This record gives sequence, C-alpha cells and structure tokens, in this order.
Amino acid sequence: MSKFRLVAPFMIIMLVLTACPAGDDPGTGGSAAPGGSDGGGGGGEADGSITVTSLWGGAEEEAFQAVLDAFTESSGIKAKYEANRTDYPTVLRTRIQGGNPPDVAIIPGIGTLRSLARDGSLISLSELGIDQASIEANYAPGILDVGVVDEELYGIMVKLNSKATIWYSPDRFGEMGVEPAEDWDALLQLTEDIKAAGGTPWALGAGDGWTLTDWFEIVYLKMNGPEAYDTLFSPDGDWTDPTVQAAIDKMLEVLTAENIEGGIDGASATLFVDAVAKVFSTSPSAELYYGGGFVGGIATGADVNPDLAGQEGTAIDWFPFPTIDGNGEGLVTYGGDVMAALVNDSDVKEFMEFLTTAEAGQVWAEGGTIISPIVSVDTSVYPTSLIQAEAEQVTSAEAVRFDGSDLLPADLLGALLQSALRGEDTAPLLEEMQAAMTTAWEEA
Amino acid sequence: MAVASPPASRDPQPKRREGGFQVNWTALLFMLPAALLLLIFLVFPAIFTVGLSFDRGRGGEFSEFVGLRNYINLFTNDPNFLRIGFPPSGALWNNVLWVVFYTFFCVFLGLLIAVMATRVRYEAIIKAIVFLPMAIAATAIGVIWSFVYFPNQNTGLLNGILGIFNIGPVAFLGSPDTVNWALIAVGVWGSVGFATVILSAALKGISTEVLEAARVDGASERNIFFRIIIPMVSLPISVVAVTLVVNVIKLFDLIYVMTRGGPGTSSRVIAFAMYQEAFPAGRYGYGAAIAIVMLLLLVPVLIFNIRRFSTERVTA
Repeated sequence: MSKFRLVAPFMIIMLVLTACPAGDDPGTGGSAAPGGSDGGGGGGEADGSITVTSLWGGAEEEAFQAVLDAFTESSGIKAKYEANRTDYPTVLRTRIQGGNPPDVAIIPGIGTLRSLARDGSLISLSELGIDQASIEANYAPGILDVGVVDEELYGIMVKLNSKATIWYSPDRFGEMGVEPAEDWDALLQLTEDIKAAGGTPWALGAGDGWTLTDWFEIVYLKMNGPEAYDTLFSPDGDWTDPTVQAAIDKMLEVLTAENIEGGIDGASATLFVDAVAKVFSTSPSAELYYGGGFVGGIATGADVNPDLAGQEGTAIDWFPFPTIDGNGEGLVTYGGDVMAALVNDSDVKEFMEFLTTAEAGQVWAEGGTIISPIVSVDTSVYPTSLIQAEAEQVTSAEAVRFDGSDLLPADLLGALLQSALRGEDTAPLLEEMQAAMTTAWEEA
Repeated sequence: MAVASPPASRDPQPKRREGGFQVNWTALLFMLPAALLLLIFLVFPAIFTVGLSFDRGRGGEFSEFVGLRNYINLFTNDPNFLRIGFPPSGALWNNVLWVVFYTFFCVFLGLLIAVMATRVRYEAIIKAIVFLPMAIAATAIGVIWSFVYFPNQNTGLLNGILGIFNIGPVAFLGSPDTVNWALIAVGVWGSVGFATVILSAALKGISTEVLEAARVDGASERNIFFRIIIPMVSLPISVVAVTLVVNVIKLFDLIYVMTRGGPGTSSRVIAFAMYQEAFPAGRYGYGAAIAIVMLLLLVPVLIFNIRRFSTERVTA
C-alpha cells in the first residue's frame, strides 16, 4: 500500500507526458513548402486518392458527386466527398490546425479565402504548377480574379448564380394584367399596379441580412457602374460617399412598409426561404421576390413547393433586374463558390486542372443546381429553361461583378441595411461602418 | 477558455503546525498530479491566450505582435462587440443585460416560489416542477424554446396562443428588439429551479421560533418577509446570485443553438463573439482578446466569491 502511494503520482505524470503531442508530424503538410521544383508541381506524395470537402448536401451534393465520378473515370484517382453541413468554416479551420486538412475544399466566402491564404493554409495554383494564364481563356473576364489574394490565384470559381433576377409567377401576372418591368420607373409602376389589383407586391426576407446586401449591390452597380462598384468593395471604398446613401434611398423606394408583405416588422423577422415561400408556396401572399438564381431551385424544391417543378415559365419565372434611370443595362451581380487546394501533390493538381475543363463544367451543369463559370459549357446542357436563361444572362452580360459584401473583411453591411429598412438615420451608421471597415481591411 | 476556482485542497492544516515552515513531502506529492493537470490544461492555455491577445494570431499561432491593437479595436471600432450610443448595443452590452435581468429574475422568482411553496402542502411537487429544467441540457432547452418561439401559429406554441387572440405571429427571435429578452426569458426558465432549491433550503434553516416570536409581537407578514426572512437568507441569495453571474458571463450554448447571435449580430454575447471571431472568422488574436476581456470580467466575481468563502469559514 505504501509503495503504491509513492508510485501512483509518477504513473500519472508519465501518462500525462506521453499523452502530450510530440510536435508537428512532418508527414502532413497543411502549409507544405511550395513544391514545383521539378516543374511538374507536387510537393507531397500522391497516393492515388483525394478528399474534397464542402457544405453541399442534397441535390447540390449529387450534382457535385457526378463531377467527382467523372474525374475518377478520366484520371483513375479516387475522389472522396465529405460534407460538413454546419459550422463549415470552423470544421475546416480545425482540420487545418490539427494537421489534417482535406486535399481540396470549397472555401466559404472570399473573406475566408483571403484569411486562409494569408495564414499559409492554402496552396496557390502556381505552387501546384498550374499557370493562371493557361486557364484564363476558359473563363469570362474577371471571374478568376475573385480567387486572387495578394496577386496569387488561390481559389478557382467553380459555380455561380446570377443575382440580377426578380422572380414572379407569369400566370398570376396574367390574371392581374401586369407585366415585368424593364426600368426602375416601370418597376415602381408595377408595384403600384399590383396593389391596385388587390395584391401585395413584394416579399422580403430581411431577417437574413445578406438578402438586403444583394439588393444594395445590384442597385449600386446599376446606378454607378462597375468601376465605382469595384472601388467601394475594395480597401479604397468610401462608405460615407453620397452614392452609397443614394443607392440605399433608391432601394428603399421599393422596400416601403406598404409594398412589402408583413410590413417592415414582418419582413425584418422573415428569413430568406420563408420569403421565397410567400411568393411561391401553395398559398402565396406576395407577387415579387428579388433574389439570386438559386431562388428557382428553392421555390421548386421540397422546402417550398415541389409542384412547381415542371411549370417553369408559367407558374414561376424571372425577369432581369431593371435598369435604373437608364443606367446599368447588361450589368449583373453574381455570387459563387471557390475551391482551393490545401495539400500540394500531383493528384490535387490533376483535380484542380480538371475543375477548369469544359468537361467538368458540363457534368456539373447537367445537375441543374449551378451555373458553370466555364465559358465553353453550352447553355443547352442546363436541365430547365430558368437556369438556361440565367446562364445566358451571365454569359451575355456586359460586365459581371461578384457579390460585394462577400468581398468585405467584416460583416457589417447587412445589419446597417436592416437598420436603414427600419427607418433609422443611416448617416452616422455609415460613418461608423467606414471606420470599422478601414480597420478590418488593415487587419484582414 | 475554461475558468475554474482553485482546488479546495488548500486546507489550513499546515498553518496550524507549531514552529517554522515545514515541507510536507507526502502532501506535495499528492498535489503534484492535480497541479500538473491544472498547469497543462488551465494555466498554460490561459497564458497562451493572454499572449495571443497581443498578437495577430494568424492560424492560431504567434505571427505578429500588435500590442494593444486588438483591445483598442474591440472597444472603439467594433459595433458588433460594443456600440456606445442610445441605446447601447453589441455583445458586451447584451451580456450586461443578461447579468442584470437574468440574475435578478432568477433570484426574485426563485425566492418568490420558495417562499410560496413552503406555505402549501404540495411543496415537493412544485419544487420538482420548477427544478425540472435544471435536468435538461442547455442545448435541449434551446431546441425546445426554438419551437415555443417559432413564428408560425401551427408550430410555435407561443404564437399558437397569441393566435387565439388574433395577435401575431410574432417572430420573437427574428427581431433585434425582442431577441435578447426572449433569450433571457429562456435562461431564467432554465435556472430559476436552481435558485428555488437553494433558497428554499435556506428558508428551512430559519428557525420557526424566530418567526413565531415576530408574529407574537405583532409583525405583519410583509414585515416578517422583508425584515426577517430576507436578511436571514441574504448569504444564500448572494451565493446564488454570484453563481448565476459567473454562469451568465460565460453564456454560449443557448445563443449558439437558438439564434447563432442573430438576427444579424444583435443577440451576440461575449463568449459567442469570441467563438465567432476566433473560429469561423479565423481572427485568433482578436478572439483571444475577447476571451481575456471575459476573464477580466469574471475575476472580480471570483475574488468576491473566494473572500466570502474564507470569511464564512471563520464565522462558521
């Protein structure tokens, strides 16, 4: 007994000490040294299989799985898909810190891409041995630039959606005797006409701040053009500039208490999907919804109204976001996801190259959940007329601009617009945002 | 960031020894494992976090010393953490609301229920019911109340009830004006049982002779409550209050399950802001600074607690 008394503490110490990690395992390379000295790229050893993570599930996952299958078929490299439906950025960062990153990951947002790239967690395409110039021709101008951090291309845009689409039901428009609008004044008139016909014009899911940032971005782009847009959503952006206030005022011309289903309070408490349902459920209560191209998939999906599937063009359709005071014809905002490599080996290089091919784009497009950013993907492969038209809108646009709030280093715009919607004075809020945003850009 | 009170193993016994300082090797040896564990899992992470809070902390490692910049930004340039204005907002302010209202209502309702329950025959049943939420995990409480608050008259219990009176549906968790109050109400529901049970035990400790003497002397029930019962249970009340304050400064789970800090960032609390900045956003240095602010807020409460425990030992 007395012997054990002396031994026990030492046993515990030994247990604790052996349980401590013995330093970083050199075999796993989250931030592996740049390879490519052999010209063929590839720092680590390829083992004939890759793991890809994203937060897609359901139809989106199926469509992506088809891409992975096509890759395995053409390369012989096994591709395993892992979905993290919740807390995706947290799980991804934890895996990176734990020295066990996936080979390739969809990166949730450009802010995350920027931060991971600067952390040294991502492998740039040039480190992989892929030349940006060689794949540039596959994309519309500017699309690849979204994945550039500090002049290095890290993320490849793999899927996108237009955010210049206003959704409505042609059948119900016919009953009310109204038609889609082509410019802002016509949109205001349309709003009045719907009210006159006894309907409620707009649904709005302002509970999700990003639905309002989408509104702001398209209005700002149409009013001020691509160059001003680029500046605003860059470190040089000035949120106290009068054009910002003007764009907010413009969008609030439509988004008034009388025009929105449930009024301002109701809309503030409504989330995105619920707002879509207000226009497209079996008992609709509003006529118009502005939101990205993905609204079509959600409206015809299990969450809202599966009966609409097959009725595209009659029960559900969209028209392009109108020009504003004659400006903004052919300007389109879009949102999208980028994919980046976290491990440097030849399997990963091959996969990233595959993602830039028309073959991969085509297989993915056939799934009907995305617009492929690859220009040579023929629009006829898209399964529905809605998504075909969306692809045409993007590819034929005069200029496309990426979702600006996704480029910002701090999540402040949504809350500001929610306050603006509730009628708060935005001038002091914009000043506050300018100060916080300046800091956030410095810290990004 | 785990915060725990120091081990209760520091018995006053060595002090009582006569003569000079003597090292009790056996005692030290026995304390060593616990001390080591504390060192590895508490002291080291705390020091690491303090260090990280003065750093940019890219990728969770020391990358660039930034001095006090994280703290300065936190208090002057982050409307999500603290916006000074009327009314103030931000995670820190929300936590102040929690500390004040959650603690007050838990203690107030706990005392009320405890006092009233002692006067009825089915006391045990009442206390069991009030205590029941304590047996439910906070995440489960969050899920239950998400359904209660659901902004639909068919799914949401509360809106179903309001619907009978043709009110609503009200999105309790969907509006920045209501979300914090709705969450605090859930917190109170979950913790009032704790206050009730402790205070009820304290009430039982008041000798009936004192109360009878007061009644014989003609004191009104109101006077008995405020002049006798409250002073006599003031120590348990402060124990309960301090425990609740410590819990609520660390609050995370309810927010994470029910609102994720939303809508927007309007229901964030300090611990949630720390999680959000450090992990999803990857700003580890900034998150560490928030963690240190949380720790500093807890320190006075813990000092108060330790002091009281030591004085208690003297008087007991």
